[in-house]
Amino acid sequence: MSKTVFLVDDSATILLSISGILTKAGFAVEKAASAEEALKKFGASVRADLLITDLNMPGMNGIELIREVRKLPAYKFMPILFLTTESQQSRKMEAKAAGASGWIVKPATADELLNTIKLVIK
Amino acid sequence: MDELTSTFVTESRDMLAEMEAGLLRLEQAPDDGDNLNGIFRAAHTIKGGSGVIECHFIENFTHQVENLLDLLRNGRIPVTGELATLLLSCCDQLGALLDTLASGQAEPLAEVLSRGDELTAALRRCVPPDEATEEGGVPAERPPEVRSCGGGVVSTDGWHISVRFGENVLRGGMDPLSFLRYLGTLGEILSLETISDAIPPAEQMDPESCYLGFEIRLQTRASKAEIEHVFEFVRDDCSLRILPPRSKVQDYIQLINELPEDTMRLGEMLLRCGALTPAELDAGLAAQQPPALPAAEGEFDDAQALPAPPIGEVLVEQQVVHREVVEAAASRQAAVSEKKAIESRMVRVQADKLDQLIDLVGELVIAGASANLLAQKSGQVELVESTSVLSRLVENIRDAALQLRMVQIGETFNRFNRVVRDASRELGKDIALVVTGAETELDKSVVEKLGDPLMHLVRNAIDHGIEPAAVRLARGKSKKGRVGLNAYHDSGSIVIEVSDDGSGLSRERIRHKAIEKGLIDESMPLGDDELINLIFEAGFSTAEKVTNISGRGVGMDVVRRNIQALRGTITVSTRDGEGSTFTIRLPLTLAIIDGFLTSVDKSSYVIPLDSVVECIELGAERLDRNYLNLRGEVLPFVNLRELFEIDGEPPSRRSVVVVQYAGSKVGIVIDKLHGEFQTVIKPLGALFRHLRGIGGSTILGSGDVALILDVPALVDIASRRERSVCLTTSAVR
Repeated sequence: MSKTVFLVDDSATILLSISGILTKAGFAVEKAASAEEALKKFGASVRADLLITDLNMPGMNGIELIREVRKLPAYKFMPILFLTTESQQSRKMEAKAAGASGWIVKPATADELLNTIKLVIK
Repeated sequence: MDELTSTFVTESRDMLAEMEAGLLRLEQAPDDGDNLNGIFRAAHTIKGGSGVIECHFIENFTHQVENLLDLLRNGRIPVTGELATLLLSCCDQLGALLDTLASGQAEPLAEVLSRGDELTAALRRCVPPDEATEEGGVPAERPPEVRSCGGGVVSTDGWHISVRFGENVLRGGMDPLSFLRYLGTLGEILSLETISDAIPPAEQMDPESCYLGFEIRLQTRASKAEIEHVFEFVRDDCSLRILPPRSKVQDYIQLINELPEDTMRLGEMLLRCGALTPAELDAGLAAQQPPALPAAEGEFDDAQALPAPPIGEVLVEQQVVHREVVEAAASRQAAVSEKKAIESRMVRVQADKLDQLIDLVGELVIAGASANLLAQKSGQVELVESTSVLSRLVENIRDAALQLRMVQIGETFNRFNRVVRDASRELGKDIALVVTGAETELDKSVVEKLGDPLMHLVRNAIDHGIEPAAVRLARGKSKKGRVGLNAYHDSGSIVIEVSDDGSGLSRERIRHKAIEKGLIDESMPLGDDELINLIFEAGFSTAEKVTNISGRGVGMDVVRRNIQALRGTITVSTRDGEGSTFTIRLPLTLAIIDGFLTSVDKSSYVIPLDSVVECIELGAERLDRNYLNLRGEVLPFVNLRELFEIDGEPPSRRSVVVVQYAGSKVGIVIDKLHGEFQTVIKPLGALFRHLRGIGGSTILGSGDVALILDVPALVDIASRRERSVCLTTSAVR
């Protein structure tokens, strides 16, 4: 069964490009354009094996999302990756403290992206 | 254009609009951190997206803009009017670059490029010199740390990795096994020992904590940095020691000493995983000299092989101190207005799909009506009941579907912030735009067509309405002029007001001008409203000088025509010296109208109800001339039976529906009146589009087709006919 990656980013461009790479690599992809939407879906029927979220989003930001998702019993141990840029080193610590597993530095090539994902899920 | 690019273009246009709105707010509230963050985020998203689609001309330019915004955001350079103007021009430039991308050109036009260069230079000039150096600079690298030395070289090759995972690794969503699996992809794991010494007694054990460690021998051609990279995500949460191939025995001994487990046990482990030979271990442990840390540099070449911690981590360590600051910033960001969160919940749907849905809903309404009719005929109570429930639901669906096409007018209004700002600067007037009722909703297709007329009205208000500051002060008004945009719903229609507190329309000047232009006669008595509404006549402009901002006197009649094309009306009220208000009244939607059903012979015709003035009965009068006497007024009319060439004898009693359009009344002669009903407009097929007098069609509950009359065209036909009849009869005489 293919693994499901849940993708959260307010940028439609990023959503489309990453989901394209993941789908091609054989993952099932769920998308949300905001943290609020992601939480709603997590609360409902969506199952995911990996969450990838942007940190800087309007409304609820990625760090809060990670914190909230970690509170859900079903996702206590789910790998969570966040998207970041070189300039946001300080936020890595904060996101890690909130429960993130790791990060992906934007812009990432398809190989970098898939390698990082391989690192956190089978 | 592929899907990714078109998504990027659409998204970036939105971001650009957001940026522009933010920049306009910036001048009023230079200290609003949320606003600055929003502007920055918008630029950042554009840059990120352009990187993804590899559109470098946008990426490079946005990068410059983003740099400056970052400095602004961090308060390192102050907000000034010039800076806002510059950034707004950058928005325009970005818009032009997006156009380039959207049109599929590989490179922007030369003129766009040169403007870009100018702006880039201007942006650079805004960066203080000390910031400029810091921006590109890389923090100084720390000299590589030398760990240890001494002793002989271990005979086995391959890397040795000791890792003890922190308790929180599982809670962070990481599976220790995944690291091992990934290490396996780098090379071959020669041997592996699991260290489970840290597992506490069962009753104290937290099943969610990780207590494991591993001693791993790895044969790989990967560099140390690559191996470290595998553990990057847990670096802060685990203890990791990596010894390169052919490390010295002393390094291993030091490793053993540093690790928390029992020395002997660990020694065994290392033996077992083949890192050391027994002899090496014995020799090493026997020496038991406390590890010298750090050793003198240059003693052995391997020291160079131990890389410095990545610069990133140094940065993190330096910035850990500021965590409170970061957190405070994060929580502030959380308070960013609800509205943005609402926006990100939006779903983008192609307008065609919506139109298709509404079309289908229209069909559903019709089918429902006919089902209802049949049920009534059958007289089965249960069937009637269930169809009536069904038709109520269908009505709800129709309303909900129409609601989908509704958009808030705010977006259109907000465009005018920029217009007012630019225009008032150009004219040297100080003008504020006050927007109210931005959340009022109306049909998307109406909104689209409303932009131009509104633009005209706003520009007119700025140019002709608001007086220069000196005049305003002399008249006892505040120096700052006010242009207002307001929208609200009013009984099934939407009302949009464009107001200003300027000089108002001068009745004297209008009258004078109208006479001069030959629009009215000097002796013509005119009511107040009639006089003022003369400004909507073609070729009317009272401005003494023509400026860039408002048009050349082609304005108002075009505005009125545009509004009327939307089945709307425009009126103006004004008080001399106090300002004027233009009121536009529009139907909520173009897809459904309130109609008045009539018939001629067996065909049904729908007349839009909002144009119907009254209905009168037509006796046996002779209809040789195409006009009637309506209470002493001349009423030209069209006989539908004649116009559409319907055969058969007219009934003895017929009706005339009096309709009004653009101030002129016309009668439409039909056979029978059926009354009001709401109808879904279906556009005519391409074959019938050129027909004059018919605007669309609809399907009645009975399944019959009814044609919707195009009132403006009928009015035109009637008045032309009457005129030509007039001319021919007078020529005959």
